[in-house]
Amino acid sequence: MNKNEFLDQLSANLKGISREDEQDILGDFAEHFKIGLEEGRTEEDLAASLGNPKVLAKQLRADILVKKAEEEASATNITRAVFASFGLGFFNLIFVLGPFIAIVAVLVSLFAAAIAVAASGIAGFFASIFGPLFPEYFSILVHQAVGIFGSIGVACLGVLFFIGDIYLAKILYKLFIRYIKFNLRIIKGRE
Amino acid sequence: MNIQFKKGVLELCALALLTKKDCYGYELVNKISKSISISEGTIYPLLRRLKDDGYVKTYLQESSEGAPRKYYKLTEAGRKVEKELKEEWLVFVKKIKKFLEGGEKNE
Repeated sequence: MNKNEFLDQLSANLKGISREDEQDILGDFAEHFKIGLEEGRTEEDLAASLGNPKVLAKQLRADILVKKAEEEASATNITRAVFASFGLGFFNLIFVLGPFIAIVAVLVSLFAAAIAVAASGIAGFFASIFGPLFPEYFSILVHQAVGIFGSIGVACLGVLFFIGDIYLAKILYKLFIRYIKFNLRIIKGRE
Repeated sequence: MNIQFKKGVLELCALALLTKKDCYGYELVNKISKSISISEGTIYPLLRRLKDDGYVKTYLQESSEGAPRKYYKLTEAGRKVEKELKEEWLVFVKKIKKFLEGGEKNE
């Protein structure tokens, strides 16, 4: 492999990162080749001792995407970071994917529960107001005022539950990023 | 030498070299690969990580050959981490050495 082939393979495996980062990385390796050539080494020798450009690119890409997910929290960024770390090997796949699915599943069910509580409060509210107008469809066992205020209470509880879920999601997001970083450091692309 | 051993000390080696003077990437790769045989490219992801963690800074400087080179410089945080890692490593090595030598005597 010569210098251009090495840099091309590196660049081809750096998809999804900013142009700036990509240029920076390619610049570092171009500089490495340049100095090595000045010292009398050949392009082939330099490329061979640098190692597999694909493996290097995957490592660099995963680091960059995890950093991005850390700086700008979003579902897209974390998903990209998770997928980038899969590319590094079998162990990353198991140790990152498992907890990721578990966390997402727990959060989805907690949010669903919060929405269900809020929705039942809202439904109860309207049922308490309009229910007595349609006695043939509704049989309400409590006093109308109890129904109205009770269901407002339930709706508020649902909203609070939802807000709590948002805080929990934020905490889990940060913890999970730390976990991926730890993972990337321990199981850096094996040679 | 076992690959996991090498990876663990790579960071320490890079930091230790930088305590002596600022280096450019090729220089670090060259010096480290003289004592530890690794895929030389692995040092570049490591250097980026050290930069992200705030342990090193980079700056460009003209070389005698013309094109500017990217130099790596330790930050205060980097110096502190180097000291801690070095200490930990030396204590660890000493303990293992004692353990291994003790083991031989018992046999």
